[in-house]
Amino acid sequence: MTPFSALLSHYRRHPWQGVALATLMLLATALWTGIHHLTSQARASLSQSEQVVEARYQIQRVDGAALSVDDFVALRRQGLCLMPWLEVLPEDESRRVIGVDPLAALCFQGQGDVASFDGQPLRGDPFMDIADAAALPARQAQLFLIVDPDSGALSDDYRITDFSLAPDTGQLGDSFLLNLDALSVLVLLITGLLLRSVYLLSLSQRRDSFALLNRFGVPVRRVRGYLVVELLCLAAVTLIPGILLGQILANALAGGFASVMEGLFDSRQLATAANTWLVPSVVMMTLLLLVCAADWLIPDKLRQSAIVGHRSGGLAGMLLVVGAGGLWLASDLLTLFVAVALVLAGAGLLMPWCLSALSSRLARGCKRPLMRRWWAEYGVLCRRLALPLVALQLSLAMVLAVQALVTTFEATFDRWLEQRLSADYYLEVPTGAEGRTAAHWLAQNLPASSGALWHRVLRGQAQVQLGDEWQAVDVFALAPVGALVTDWELFENVEQPWRKLAAGEGVLVNEQLAYREQLGAGDSLPLKLAGQIISMPILGVYPDYGRPAGEVLMAGDHLPDGFAVSFESFSISPGSIGIEAITGALSELWQEPSLTVRDNLSIRDLANRVFDQTFALTRAMTLLTLALAAVALLLMGWVFLATRLWYFRLLEVWGMARPAIFLRLLSLALMVSLSAAILALPVGIGLTWVLVQRINPLAFGWSLPMDLYPGFWLELLALALVIGVCIGLLMHRQLGRPAVRPSVTGTVTGEER
Amino acid sequence: MEKTLLTVSGLAKSFGRDEAAVSVLANLTFDLPAGGSLALMGRSGSGKSTLLNMLCGLEPPDAGELTLFGQDHRHADWQRLRRGRIGVVFQEANLMPTLSLLDNVRLRASLAGQPEAHCQHWLDVLDIGDLAHRFPDQVSGGQRQRAALAMVFAMSPDLILADEPTGSLDRVTADEVADSLFRLQADTGCALILATHDAELASRCQSTLDLAHRTTAQDAAVSKP
Amino acid sequence: MRIRAGMALAVWLLAGCSGPDEEVGFAGLADNAQSTDGFEQPAPGDALTFPQDFGPHPAHRIEWWYLTANLETEAGDPLGLQWTQFRQALESRAQDAPAPEASTWPLQAAWMAHAAVSHQGQHWFQERLARGDLGQAGAIAEPFQVWLDDWQMTAGDQPDQWHLTVRQGQSGQQGYWAFDLDLSIQGPPVAHGDNGFSAKSASGEGSMYFSLVGIDVTGTVTLADEDLNVQGKAWFDREWSSQFLKAGQQGWDWFALHLDSGDKLMAFRLREESGHFRSGTWISQSGAVVALAPDQLQLEPIAGSGPVPTRWRLQVPEQDVDIELKAPEGDYINDGLFPYWESPVSISGSHSGVGYMELTGYDN
Repeated sequence: MTPFSALLSHYRRHPWQGVALATLMLLATALWTGIHHLTSQARASLSQSEQVVEARYQIQRVDGAALSVDDFVALRRQGLCLMPWLEVLPEDESRRVIGVDPLAALCFQGQGDVASFDGQPLRGDPFMDIADAAALPARQAQLFLIVDPDSGALSDDYRITDFSLAPDTGQLGDSFLLNLDALSVLVLLITGLLLRSVYLLSLSQRRDSFALLNRFGVPVRRVRGYLVVELLCLAAVTLIPGILLGQILANALAGGFASVMEGLFDSRQLATAANTWLVPSVVMMTLLLLVCAADWLIPDKLRQSAIVGHRSGGLAGMLLVVGAGGLWLASDLLTLFVAVALVLAGAGLLMPWCLSALSSRLARGCKRPLMRRWWAEYGVLCRRLALPLVALQLSLAMVLAVQALVTTFEATFDRWLEQRLSADYYLEVPTGAEGRTAAHWLAQNLPASSGALWHRVLRGQAQVQLGDEWQAVDVFALAPVGALVTDWELFENVEQPWRKLAAGEGVLVNEQLAYREQLGAGDSLPLKLAGQIISMPILGVYPDYGRPAGEVLMAGDHLPDGFAVSFESFSISPGSIGIEAITGALSELWQEPSLTVRDNLSIRDLANRVFDQTFALTRAMTLLTLALAAVALLLMGWVFLATRLWYFRLLEVWGMARPAIFLRLLSLALMVSLSAAILALPVGIGLTWVLVQRINPLAFGWSLPMDLYPGFWLELLALALVIGVCIGLLMHRQLGRPAVRPSVTGTVTGEER
Repeated sequence: MEKTLLTVSGLAKSFGRDEAAVSVLANLTFDLPAGGSLALMGRSGSGKSTLLNMLCGLEPPDAGELTLFGQDHRHADWQRLRRGRIGVVFQEANLMPTLSLLDNVRLRASLAGQPEAHCQHWLDVLDIGDLAHRFPDQVSGGQRQRAALAMVFAMSPDLILADEPTGSLDRVTADEVADSLFRLQADTGCALILATHDAELASRCQSTLDLAHRTTAQDAAVSKP
Repeated sequence: MRIRAGMALAVWLLAGCSGPDEEVGFAGLADNAQSTDGFEQPAPGDALTFPQDFGPHPAHRIEWWYLTANLETEAGDPLGLQWTQFRQALESRAQDAPAPEASTWPLQAAWMAHAAVSHQGQHWFQERLARGDLGQAGAIAEPFQVWLDDWQMTAGDQPDQWHLTVRQGQSGQQGYWAFDLDLSIQGPPVAHGDNGFSAKSASGEGSMYFSLVGIDVTGTVTLADEDLNVQGKAWFDREWSSQFLKAGQQGWDWFALHLDSGDKLMAFRLREESGHFRSGTWISQSGAVVALAPDQLQLEPIAGSGPVPTRWRLQVPEQDVDIELKAPEGDYINDGLFPYWESPVSISGSHSGVGYMELTGYDN
C-alpha cells in the first residue's frame, strides 16, 4: 500500500463520487467541445464562403435568356475568367447540389488543389462535378456563370450583376457569430466552476487522509504531485470520451447546422471542419489543471480569504465597480471582454457573500430559534455550495441573455426580412426600359379592389451636408408611398411621417446615418440632389439592420428632374391578379422578352426556416449548459446535505415530525436554487445589455434594439424551483437512512457553520 | 412505593433480514422508577445505542413490550415525548453548529414548550454562562457537552437518555460533566438512562444493566446496589 | 517528350474526379491507371497521316501540341518561348465517333495549356485548364487550330502560315504579359523513330511522334508593359500515345536543337533504375532524317543548379557531334500543378547553336 494508492482508496470507498466527478468532467468536456466545434464550423464556413465567392458577380444575358454552355464557352474564349455554377434540385432529394467545374474555377484562385473545390472535396455535399450534376434527374436546374469582373471587358450581349440568391445577411451573421463566441467562453467559465466544485468536494472529504499522510511524513508537495497524477489520469479517462461525445453531438446537430449556415451566410457550403482534437484537449486539460490545482499557486493567506472570506465582499465589489466602469468606457472589444469577465467574476464572488451576509442578518433578526437556525443553515448552504451555485447562476444568466439575444435577433431578422422583402415579388427594370410607363400601367391596372400593392423603387446618389462637409449617401426613393412601407417600425419620428414623406415634406434617414451623425427626427438635413441644394426636415429614423452606408428615404414623386437613377425596380404584391399577368404585360410594354423577377415569398420562407434552425440550436446548447449546471447543483447539494443530515436527525430526536423536517429541508433547497435564479436575473439582463448594446456596436458599429422578456424570467424561476424540489426529494430518501455523525474536525474548525 | 416510569419486557431487536439477520437484543426485561437512574453497560456493538433509540421511539422493537410514562410503545406519541419529556445526549454533535450555545438551548426549550427566559440560567448553572454567545466550534469539547446538558435540562425532562455523554472527553473534564449530570438529575428528580462502558461512571447510577453478559443469559439481570 | 506533364495531368484528373483522397503514386499510376483498356496503343508499323494527325486522337489517352522558340529581340537579347497544349482523356472514343453533347458538361477529356517566356534571367509561366468537348478547348486538323480559352494557335489563309496568341491578365494592368507570333513553316513534318513510332523503352512502349523543325517566327512579346519585337526560329512537336512511362522510369530529359550549321537534332533519355533509354533524330541541313538508336548517342549531365542538371554533354559520334548544352542563369521551372524545367539552351563544342531543354522528375 503506497501513499498514492492510499489516496486513491477514497474513490474505492466512495465510487459514486469518483463516477460523479468523472461524469461531470466528461459532460462538461462534451458540452464545450460541442459548442466549440459548432462555432468553429460556423466560422470556417463563413470564411470559406467569403473566399469562394469573394467577388460575387455573375453574368446575365441582356436578352434575358437562360445561360447555356455556349455562353460559357463564348465568354471564356473572349478571355474572361468565369466558372459555371449549376444548381440542381434533384428529383429524389430535397437538398440542392451544385455542379462546378474545378478546371474552370482555377482562374479565380490561381494555383490550387484541383482535386477539390476550394479545399472542399467534390462529393456532392453540396458540390459535385458539373457533369455529374447535369446528369442528375432534376426537378429544377439553373446555370449561373460566376465571373471575375476584373478579368476583361464584356460584350454588349451580357451584363454583370451581383451573385446573391439568398438574402445577404451580411453583418447580422457576423454579429451572431461573435455572440456565439462570447457564449462559448462563458460556457467554458461555467464548465470550470462545475469541475472545480466537484473536485473541491472530493478534496474536502479527503482532507483527513491528507492530514494523516502528512503526519506519516509524506511531504505536502508529494501529496500534491499524487493529486496532479490523479487528475491527469482522470482527464485521460474522461477527456477523450468527452471530446468524442462532443463531436458526436456537434456532428448530429451539424446536419441541420450545415443547411443553416448555408442559408445564413449564403455560403452554400459548410466546411467539413476537421474534427480537431487539439483545441478541445488542450483547453479542457488546461482548464482542469487550472481549476483544480490553481490553489497551490496562490499564497495560503490570499486563498483563505478568496471565496468565503470576509474580504470577498469587498473584492467582489471592487471587481464589479472596475468591470462596470470598463463596460461603460471600453472602446475596444478586448477591454470590453475583460470588463465582462471582471463583472462576472465580481458577480460570482458577490453572490455567495451576499447571500451569506443576508442570511446572517436575517438569522440575527429572528426571534424564534428554529427560524434562526433555518436562516443560518441557508447561509451555510450558500457558502458551501458557492461554486455550483455560481455556475447555476451564470448558466441561468446565460440562458436568459441568449433567450433575449436570440429573440431579439429573431425579431430583427423578421423585421429585416419584412423590410427587405416587403412585397411578394421584386421586379428589376431592365436597362434602357422606362420605369415611369410601367408605373403608369400598374397604377391603371392594379386597382385597390384587387388587393394588389406595389411601389416603384428608384436608387441613386445624393450628398448631405454634415458639418462643413458634403458627404455622399444613397438615395432610396419610393413611389407611391403606400402600405408596403407604412408599417415599418421607426426608431423615432415626427407625427404622420409617412403622409409627410408622400407629400414630399421631408425625408427619412437610416439608423446608421442617424447614429453616426447624431441626427434625429425634426432635424433639418441639407441635401444636394441633381445639382440642387434643398433642405429637408428629417421625418424619422428607420432601422437598417447593419447596413453600413448612409441612406436617405424619399418620395419618388418629388425627386428633382435631373436625378440620375442608378437602379430601378418594382416591389409588387399582386393580390388576386397573378404575377404572370403583370410580368407578361410589363414585358410587352418594355419590349423585353425576359424579366428578372425575384420571388420574395419563397426567399422569406427559406430564410425563416434557416434562422429558426440556428436559433433553436443556440437555445438547445445553452439549455444543455443549464442542465449540466442543474445536475451539478443537484449532485453537490445532495452530497453536501448528506453531511448535514445528522443535524436534521437531531431535530427528529428532539421531537420534530419527519414531514416537518422534510419541509424545512425542501424549503432550504428551494430557497437556495431560487436565490441563484433571482440573482441570475440582473446578471443575465446585464449580459444581454452588454451583448446587444456594447459588444455589437463596438464590433460592428450598430446595435440591435434591446428587449426584455419577463415571461421567460418566470420560466427560469420555475425551473430553479424544480431543481430545488429535486434536491429536496433526493434528501427525502436520505432522511430515512441512518445519519453519519459529522466528523470531529468539521465540528471544531467551524466549517459546519 | 416509587412510581414506575419505564417497563420493558421481552424486548427484542435484530438487524438485517432472514438468515443474515443479527440479533442485537433479545428477551430484554427491566424497569425503571421515576427519578431512578440506570446504567447500560456493554462493549461496542452490544446494543446500547439501539436500546436507547427504542426507548425514545426512533426505532421500533421487533418484539416485546415497552411502556413509558404509562403509554404502550405502539401507541405512544413519541414525537411529543421526545419534544417535552425525553432528553437525549449523545457523545458529541448535540448542538446545531450554526447556532450559538444560548440559541441551541433556546431552540431546545422552545421545542419543549418551556420558557426561553430560563435558558441563560441553565448555562450559568453549568458554568458556561459567559460562553452563551459563542458558537459550538468556538468552545471546548467539555463545554459543548455542558451546553448539551443545559439543553436537556432546559426542557425539564422526565427522562434523560445519555449515550456515552463523556466518551470523548478527558478524565477530569469527563468527571466534571458527569458531576453536573448527576447533580442536576438529582436536583430536578428526572430519571436517567446512561449508556457507558465506563464502570466507574456506571457505578454512580442506582442500577446497572449489563447488555454484554445478558446476551448469554436468558433475561436481563438488574442488579441493585 | 512531354510525358511527365501528361502523366501528371492524369494523376490530377484521377484524383480530382474519382475521389479527392487518393494520392496516386507515379509509378503506381504507370502500373494501373495507365493500362491501355479501351485506348489504342501505338505500335511499330503505325503510319502518320497528314493533315489528320495535326488534329486530336480521341482513341488515345494522351497527346500534345508543343512549340518552343529561340527568339531574339531587336536589341539582340535572347528570348525563349514555350506554348503547349495537352489533352488527357479519361474515356476512349473512336476517332470518327461523335463528341458528347456540350450541354452535358462532359468530362471525357481534359485540356491543359502552358505558356512560358524566358528573358533576361526571368521566367513567366501560366497554366490554363478546361474540359474538352465544350468548345472551350480543342483542336482541329484542317484548317489547323488548337485553342484553350483565348489562347490559340491557328493556321492562316496559307496552311503553312500559323498564328499564335497568348494573353495573361488585362492589358495595362500589373502582371500582364502576352505574345502574338506569326509562324512560317519551312519544310515537311519530320517523323521520328520508325516512320513516326518513337520507342520509349527497350521493351517496346512508345508514342507516335513527329515535328516541324524549321519554323521562322516574327511577332511581339509583351512583358512588363514593354512590347518587344522578336524574330527567330521555333520547333513544333506533335505526339500521342496511351501508355508511356513504364514502371521504374523516373523522368526524362529532352532536347530540341537548332545547330548553326543548319542541322537539327532531337535527343532524349528516359531515366530508369537500371540504365537509361536513349533515342534521338538527326535532321541534316538537306532534310535527310536519321533515327538515332540508343547506342548511337551519349547524353550525360555535367553540372546542375540544385537537383536540376543545367549543363549537359551530348555526343553523336556518327555525325561528329560532341557538344555542351547550357541553360542560361535563372530558374526555369514551370511552376504549375505539376512542375518541370523548361528552358532555352545555348550550344558550344563541335557545333554552336540554340535549342530547348525539358527536364522532368527531378523533384523540382
